[in-house]
Formats: sequence, C-alpha cells, structure tokens
Amino acid sequence: MRILRRWRQPASWSIFRQDDRLLLILIAVIVGTCSGLAAVVLNRSLIAMFEWLHHFRHYWWSFIIPAIGAALSALFLDKMVKEGAGHGVPEVIYSVSRYGGLMRFRSSFSRLISSCLTIGSGGSAGPEAPVVMSGAAIGSNIAKFFSLNDRQRVTIVGCGAAGAISSIFNAPIAGMVFSMEIILGEWKAANIVSIAIASVAGTEISRILQGNQIAFSHRLFNVGHLDIVACIGLAIISAAASILLTRLLGSMHGVSKKIPFPTWMRAAAGGCAVGIIGLFLPVVLGEGYHPLRTMIEGVYTQGIGIVTVAFLAKILATSLTLGWGGSGGIFAPCLVIGSLAGLTYHRGLLLLWPSVPWVNEGCFALLGMAGLVSGMLQAPLTGIFLIIEITGSYEVILPLIIVSVISTTLCHYIEPASFYLKELVEKGQLLRQGTDRSVLSDLSVQELLEKDCMVVKQNMLLRNFINIIKKSHRNYFPVEDERTGHFLGIIHLDDIRPYLFNPLMYDAVVLGQMMDTNVEVVYLDDDLSEVLQKMDANRVFSMPVIANKKFIGMISKATLLDKYRKELMVQTDL
Amino acid sequence: MKFSLNDIARCLDLPVSTVDRWIRQGRIPIHRNGNACIFKKSVLEKWAFNHSMPFFLPNEEKEIYKGQNPDLTNLLPAMQLGGVFHDIKGADVESVLKSAVDKVPVLSINKEKLYKRLLEREALTSTGIGKGVAIPHPRAPLPEEIDKPLIITCFLEQSIDFAAVDDKPVCVMFLLLSRSIKNHLHLLSRLAFCVRDDLFVEFLRTYPDTSSFLSRIADCENLLDETD
Repeated sequence: MRILRRWRQPASWSIFRQDDRLLLILIAVIVGTCSGLAAVVLNRSLIAMFEWLHHFRHYWWSFIIPAIGAALSALFLDKMVKEGAGHGVPEVIYSVSRYGGLMRFRSSFSRLISSCLTIGSGGSAGPEAPVVMSGAAIGSNIAKFFSLNDRQRVTIVGCGAAGAISSIFNAPIAGMVFSMEIILGEWKAANIVSIAIASVAGTEISRILQGNQIAFSHRLFNVGHLDIVACIGLAIISAAASILLTRLLGSMHGVSKKIPFPTWMRAAAGGCAVGIIGLFLPVVLGEGYHPLRTMIEGVYTQGIGIVTVAFLAKILATSLTLGWGGSGGIFAPCLVIGSLAGLTYHRGLLLLWPSVPWVNEGCFALLGMAGLVSGMLQAPLTGIFLIIEITGSYEVILPLIIVSVISTTLCHYIEPASFYLKELVEKGQLLRQGTDRSVLSDLSVQELLEKDCMVVKQNMLLRNFINIIKKSHRNYFPVEDERTGHFLGIIHLDDIRPYLFNPLMYDAVVLGQMMDTNVEVVYLDDDLSEVLQKMDANRVFSMPVIANKKFIGMISKATLLDKYRKELMVQTDL
Repeated sequence: MKFSLNDIARCLDLPVSTVDRWIRQGRIPIHRNGNACIFKKSVLEKWAFNHSMPFFLPNEEKEIYKGQNPDLTNLLPAMQLGGVFHDIKGADVESVLKSAVDKVPVLSINKEKLYKRLLEREALTSTGIGKGVAIPHPRAPLPEEIDKPLIITCFLEQSIDFAAVDDKPVCVMFLLLSRSIKNHLHLLSRLAFCVRDDLFVEFLRTYPDTSSFLSRIADCENLLDETD
C-alpha cells in the first residue's frame, strides 16, 4: 500500500527530492514527446482530411466546405468543450503569467480537433497555435500530476510549447526560442535546460514518425550586396502586411461580434466567404504548406498581378476565417502571406530593374516569411531561427536578420503590442514577472492586513475613549455597532485632537457622534492596484478593510511598501 | 527539518497566506507535503539572508524578543531599591541635593558627577512639581552607571524653598535615576499620579515610616493599574 501511494506521488521519490532539476528534465522529456506526438497527429490528420476533400474541390458548391468545417469547429468549441474561439496562444500566455501555467485538461485536445475541422476543410489558418496550446496544456497537466510548484509548472508549460513547435516544423531551435520569447517572455538558465530537452524530444518524435526532412527545401541562393539593400524595402512591405493583417483581424472580430447570430453561423459565414475566394485563388485555402513549397523552390509561375491579388486575398481570407470564429493560428498564414509578399516584391524589382541580376525569387519568399513572422509576433529571434531551420538556408542569414529586425521595429512602432499580446494588453491581463502589475496582482489584501487597531463601540463616551488612546499604537480607531458588530465609521486622531484636551466634552459626546462615516473601505477580494488608486484619489495612507460588514483590519501604504519590496525581491532573483 | 505552515510563517515573520503562496509558486526553498513543510535549515537561512528577511527558530526568537522589550519597572521596586531616608539635611537646594546624592545606594556611580548633573537640570527649571514635592533627576538617563532604575525617597528635615511651580516649600524629594527615557517617563507619570491625590500629599507630610510609605505606594499603583 505504501509503495502504491509512493507511486502515485512521484514528486516524493527520493531521487527527485535530492535535486528537482533532475525531475524537471525527466518531465521535459515526457512533455516534449507528448506534445510532439500531438503535433504529428494534427499534421497527419490535416493531410488526410485535405486529400479526402480534394475530390470535392472541382464542384461549384465546394465553397461551402470551409463553411461546414468552420461551423462544426465553432459548435465543437462552443457547445462541447465550452472554450472560446481564437488561436489559444494568448490563453497560454495569460495562464503562465497569472495562474502559474494552470490549464484545463480538455485544452490539450480541444484545439486540435477544432483547428483540424477548420483548416482541413479549407479555412485559412495555421495548425501551430492549436498545437502550442495542446502542448502547453499537456505540460500543465503532467506538471500537476507530479505536484510541481508554479515556477516549475511554468517551465513545463514552456516545454510543451517548445516541443510542439519543434515537432511540427522539425525545428528544435525555433521551438526553444518561440517558447522563451513568446510564451515565457523571459530568458533564464533554469528554464533553458528543460525547454531545450523538450525541443529535442519533440523533434526526435517527429523525425521518427515522419522522417528527418527539411520542411521547405530549395536550391542554393547566391545573395549579392544589392539584394541586401533591396531587402530593406521588403521589410517595409512585410511590416505593412503585418499591420494590415492585425488590423483586419481585429476589425473582422468587431464586425462579426455585432451580428446577432450564434457563433457557429458566424463561423459558417466566414468560411463561406473564404470558400468563394478559394474558388478563384486556391492558394488561400488551408494552412498553405504546399504552395509555400513551390514558392520557395521558385517554380510558382503566376505573374505579378495574380501574385499581388493572392497576397491581399490571403490576408483577407485569414482574417475572415479567424475573425469570424474559425479555429486556428496565424503562424502558417503568416508564412504564406510573407512568401507572397516576397514574390510580389521580387516581381516588382524585376519590372523596375530587369537588368540587375537579382537573387532567385525563392530567397525573397523566404525573407518575406521571416518579415511577417517577426512583424506579427514581434519576436525577431523566432522569425530568424524558424526560417533558417525550416529552409536549411544559412546563406541568407544576413538579409534575414535585417528583414526581421526592421519589420519588428516598424510593427512595434505602429502596434505596441504583438498580435498574441494585443488582447491581453488591452484587457490589462499581461503580467510579466517582476513588473509592478505582477507584484500587485500576486499580493492580496489578506496578506497586508494590519490587525493592531483597537475597535471601539459607537456609544462609548469620550472619557473612556481617552484611556483607549493611551494604549493604542495607531491613529485610527474603527467604530462598530455594539449589537451587530457592524462597521460604522472610523475616528482619525488628527480630526479629534482639539477636543481631546477639553475635559468639558469628555462626558458630552459619544464616539458615534465623532466618527467619520463617509470613509472609503476595502474588501478582502479587492484588487490591490485599485486599492492604491483609491488611496491616491482620496489622499489617504490607510484604509479600513471590511468583511461581512465587519472591520477586520487596516491596510496601509507603509506595510504595502514593505511587502511589495519583499515580493519584488522574491519574484526577480530566482 | 519539518515544520507546520504556521510555525514557518512565525519563523520568517510573514503572514501565513504569503508563505503558503510562495511555497505554491516555488519562490521559497520549502517543499510542502500536506500540512508539513519540509526544508533544509541551512538553505532556508541562506535564502532569508539573501532576501534580507529575518529567520529564527521558535526558541531563538523568544530570546530576541525579550531583549528588545524589557518590562518597565514600576514605582515600588524602584523605591525599594533606592531606599527611604528621613534625615536629609540642608537649608537650600544645593545642600539637600548633596546629602541626597550621598544616600544613593549604588557603588558604581560617580556621586560628584551625578550631583553636578542634578544641578544642571535644576538650572534649567526647578523640578519642584508643587504641593511640597520635588523630583530631582539628571537630564539624560544613566544606562551605564546603574543596572535598574531606582528612586531615592528623601524626607527633608526642614522644608526648603525649591522655586517650585506653586512656590510652596518642598518637604519631600524623590531622586529619580533611570536607565532609559521610556522608563523615566513611566516612573514620572506614576509619581505624578500619586501626587495629584491630595490625601497622598497629606500622608507624605506626616513623615511616615518606610514600611507604611511603601505599602501606600503599592496601594496607589494598584489603583493606577485598575483604571488603566
């Protein structure tokens, strides 16, 4: 029996108690493998579904296929697992920053199914964000099983995300960097070890099951000096495309919310629109890995006009799919839009300066991809490493870096928060460790309570009150009702000081007549930043805390500073 | 080591909810197993030091606590220590103070110096608080010279002019020597409470013997403790 119990609590095994880093590494392997598997499963089922539906693409009514897929996915999310639409990455970031990475078990498969329905039927979205969410949820639940603490759980959630990205792109470094740069938002040696191991595990599982192949192979590029100069223009275009996509997604979301239809009908309408676009430009359908390959290989034959239209149509289709309630990420659409932007730019260059020996158009497609990923996610390192790894083309590293950083900077200038963080920042839910907001949200009113105040009754005479003042260490005296014990008001020593030295008043007034009844009070579950705002607005340094109409203590700025400093120290230097 | 959550919170001088949260968040090197908190003393001590937080095991903590807050000495023990004298000679402030200082029952004290300090204090304003009572004392406390606060009660052979607040001649002196300002104020306020009572002053004028005087003081202090 004892052995059994020990088995159920692996965290208490002596080998792990010695050093919990060992435990984290082992869990990282498990989580990396699981999330890698999830990625492979989604990838395979997407391919299968796409091939199965391929036969129907030639019919005129094929435009309703994406509508059906999107509606089913919205119904599944809304009715069966009861989760919000969207791609899931903001949810992961929020759970990491607010709840120590705590996530529901159902999140580990819900997005896989819904995004498979949306994308497999032709919706323009990416499978990466759903896989990241699954990986993160798998990590969170495994961490819960091993009864890890919040800090360790966050690391394991990062491991899940890293394993998922590593597996789906066969790109371990990109997985690591994505997890650190976007999910965790901090670079710490303690995290890197586990996340690297999860990346390796995720990549390995994908290589075992799908073979070790570079996702988008291509010919060797000869990048000249002029190409490096020209890529500045591409950076500007990809930044503009990123902004356009972000804004369009936002406005589509706003428009669809105003329509009084149930979610699944909205998703169907969006899917229908995408299907109609897809009738004319099939490149916009699905996650778009196949057209991506042809573009990078340089065999995409359409002229500048069609490429430009496709570039804009893909942006529109993505915002229609995701903005109207379909499920999926923006990673893959970003890659497609980026490569279309690169092609457009290349065709434009050829038109203007036909005699210059520009590098192959595949190179520009690749740079455009990096530009869009960096711009949308405002994560230049993720963009750089991802493109290098999925194309295996180290020779383009210089223009790649230039495009990535310029695109990130420009996007940051216009949209201060990246696409993933935008929603959270707008709701004020982004809490990165060690920031004012995170310190305040971690502290609770309960922890700051000062209980050394002496409570007085409302019918007490001033004469008796003088004796109480003698013994008290505080300037505030909360007044309560004798019978009910309810808080009535507060007496501040400063307000009554003149009367204290007037013995004639000692028997003439009771405390109920002297107290200030018009006081702002704090409740136990109040948010500390709001409490501070109240204090500043009323120019007070202390406020009474009330629970069940009864006084339970004071909260003051002095104590707050003391605890704030301790909290900040504890949060930052681990 | 294995402690309960409450004990740990007391050791670190933090609210229980904070320690609970820190353990859950993994910010403090303590492992939680049910209600038991398991930790290595050396690791936790180092952690507390690095975060400039106190860390005391329960028995150590009490000693520190005692050292910081010594109990205030009341009138009776101080008066018992200082002694009651009925034969203080002198016709003016200087001479009575001189003979009072001679009675101070502490060997380690420099009586010449103490006398000078008492005079300095008198030069500031008289310590005659009225009703024939004076409470001479040095301006600063004497933490080095004495171990415990003491009051030397001096009944004067003849009443003298002390330049008291009510200009009445003084017949009783309480020479007040304390180690800290806090205890000085404490004794002074208790003494003032006694003197405020006219019956007590009448009693003083009867030159009572030592035992009845001390028992009267004990009564007064009891009364004072009751009203508090």
